[in-house]
Amino acid sequence: MTFKHFILGLSITFALPWFFVIAVPYAKMSQTQAVSFVEDIDEQTGVYTTKRAGRVLDGAKVYGAEGCYLCHSQLVRPTYAGSDVWRLDWAGDANHPDGDTRRETNVYDYAGERFAQIGLTRTGPDLSNVGVRIRKYAKEAEISPEEWAYMHLYNPRHKLTTSWSVCPSSTQLFRTCDVQGQGSLEALSVDSIKDGEQLIPKESARALVSYLLSLKKDNKVPASIDYSR
Amino acid sequence: MATDTNLSNEQDAIIRAEVDRSLRHPVMFFFTSGAVWLAISIFFGMIASIKQHDPDFGLLPDFFKDSSLFAVGRAYAAHMNVLLYGWGAQAAFGVMIWLMARLTRQPSRNSGVILTAGHLWNLAIAVGLIGICTGKGTGVSWMEFPTCVWPVLLLSYVLIAVWSLVQFQVRDGSRTFISQWYLMAAMLWFPWVFLSSHLFVFVFEGHPLMTAGVNAWFKATLVFLFFIPVAVGAAYYLTPKVTGRAIYSYKLAIFGFWALAVIGPWAGMQKLAGAPIPHFLPYMGMVAMILFMIPAITVGVNILVTMKKAPEVLPYSPTLRFVAAGSILLVVLGAIGIALNTPNGLRETQFSIAGYGYEILAIYGVFSMIIFGAIYFIVPRITVREWLSSRFINWHFWLSVYGVVTIVFCSIFGGFLQGEAQEAFDKPWMDAATRGYAYTLGTTIAWHFIFVSNLVFLLHLLLMWMRLGRRSQHPTLLHSHHAESPHGGEGFVDNA
Ligand code: HEC
Repeated sequence: MTFKHFILGLSITFALPWFFVIAVPYAKMSQTQAVSFVEDIDEQTGVYTTKRAGRVLDGAKVYGAEGCYLCHSQLVRPTYAGSDVWRLDWAGDANHPDGDTRRETNVYDYAGERFAQIGLTRTGPDLSNVGVRIRKYAKEAEISPEEWAYMHLYNPRHKLTTSWSVCPSSTQLFRTCDVQGQGSLEALSVDSIKDGEQLIPKESARALVSYLLSLKKDNKVPASIDYSR
Repeated sequence: MATDTNLSNEQDAIIRAEVDRSLRHPVMFFFTSGAVWLAISIFFGMIASIKQHDPDFGLLPDFFKDSSLFAVGRAYAAHMNVLLYGWGAQAAFGVMIWLMARLTRQPSRNSGVILTAGHLWNLAIAVGLIGICTGKGTGVSWMEFPTCVWPVLLLSYVLIAVWSLVQFQVRDGSRTFISQWYLMAAMLWFPWVFLSSHLFVFVFEGHPLMTAGVNAWFKATLVFLFFIPVAVGAAYYLTPKVTGRAIYSYKLAIFGFWALAVIGPWAGMQKLAGAPIPHFLPYMGMVAMILFMIPAITVGVNILVTMKKAPEVLPYSPTLRFVAAGSILLVVLGAIGIALNTPNGLRETQFSIAGYGYEILAIYGVFSMIIFGAIYFIVPRITVREWLSSRFINWHFWLSVYGVVTIVFCSIFGGFLQGEAQEAFDKPWMDAATRGYAYTLGTTIAWHFIFVSNLVFLLHLLLMWMRLGRRSQHPTLLHSHHAESPHGGEGFVDNA
């Protein structure tokens, strides 16, 4: 084996997979087109939109920087690869007024994000549809979805039902300040705070919560990309 | 194997001494700063691991419990990135530049530049670590350092490695050793993998799923095409050197090299199984992960059979012991790769703690163990002093072995149980979420062993760095041994 053969062999064995596994699929997928509803089949028209912007996308960055992907996935696999679709409220809303919306992840689900947070483990539940679940929990507790989410982020173990949780208390996303006038509408009701002070979410917590609430699968998708039918 | 030059033994010994002297400062700098980062990484790993089973752990001082610097997600990112780039890459650089210079018989003329680049690399790691801990991480696994860091890393890498390539080009004598193929390949693969992945993830406009795909590929290829080949290159040098026996089969060695080159670059995308990306991508990843067993077993057999032929040195040499452990674990890595990537295995373990066990096995069990062996071989030569204490080496070895085996067992076994519970969709999620606790607890305990083991190693290395090693003609061996090996003890300062 001479040096020339070595370099040649190395280039071929590496460039080939690099080209077919990385470069080509990357280029292809960056041109994903929007899909439209077809009137005859979908009983509605227009483009299937999943636009997200502003604070939601800031929240995606907070999600990454805080390392939530260590324990939470965001991928509902088709049934050949896992039983995610059947978990309660993971893949959609089975009792949605417009009909069962459960489905596997599609290419439009991460709209606007630079990086799809597939996740490393499922120590915690999949969050693809957590927006729907949080709204449900909030309704049961008769509070706003935002408030439920703030309480969970501040201390996931405050509820009796999840006292076993290892979801971290992200206290760094909150701050205390003096109460002025009637106090902030967003102030959390926790006991550990001194009189005259209140605990309010920082901008990073607001962004993270908007992001979490944007993760939901309760909409109708065009039949052309709905594999559950 | 390394005496293939036209020089007399005496001339050769002089050149070897010159090579060692020329590289003393950069190589010692890479090893010691790497060992410091390793201790820091393990410390973060302990915090992250504790918080995964005990989020408000009572014994933890309040500072670690409450400070956002140690929030579990951040601590985990800090742990992995410092392990990979602070310790792994630097230890690899030290071994790489020394081995390439030794094998081409050329003293380094650029040690100043290399040392400067080494400082730059360390600065970048420090900035990256602070970034992650203060919540400025990118959120892309193994690429969490803030985006200003990676170009600096790449630049320093080029300044560190390019001289070895130049040395290789201008060497005299045409014979090349298998170690050199591995090291050269790693040197070329690393920048390609590193640069293209970072461009695809952070610079070009891609689909979010494909940036995640590139990230998964990056993680696999960084291991298969950088860390593993550097370790294997070192093992192929050290084993014949210390045993005085030729490699069992040179043909097998060449075959193993090309098997890795052909299989390695396809791995990674199995992590996205079930995602709406082209279907063949995860399948290619699964197949590559399974076929990795071929190069793994080739290398493992070749190294271990060679060692078995030298029963008179095997029990005494620290280097051989570490390399042997690393080679055995390489075969184990191949076997676990198969278990995790059959369709059923993947379905259950895709989102379990098993992935972590696989990574730690590759980076600590295989790469680091072999590199520790190399460090025990190289440092006495470049400092012209012998290691101070065989007891320290023994502690380092056994605590590391017990630690890493425990982590791998807990993560893989626990991962399968966890995955099984995750798949049982009609049971409450609490079942799945709590199934892994006992195993993460085991991992925490194991990291404590490894932490102690590396504090001992760091202390020993620092003493050597300060040139407080023994001045002796007799190497530090693991047992006092009686008969002198006919090939000279492996620690002999002026042994080839
Ligand atoms: C150490 C692992 C871990 C990390 C890191 C983690 N979580 Fe959790 N998370 C869990 C576990 C376990 C649960 C389930 C128990 C519960 O509801 O608290 C959970 C539950 C949740 C839930 C409620 C989901 C539901 O449907 O009930 C939300 C929302 C959540 N986590 C958000 C986050 C966010 C945001 C982050 C990043 C700051 C994060 N988690 C980081 C482990 C983790």
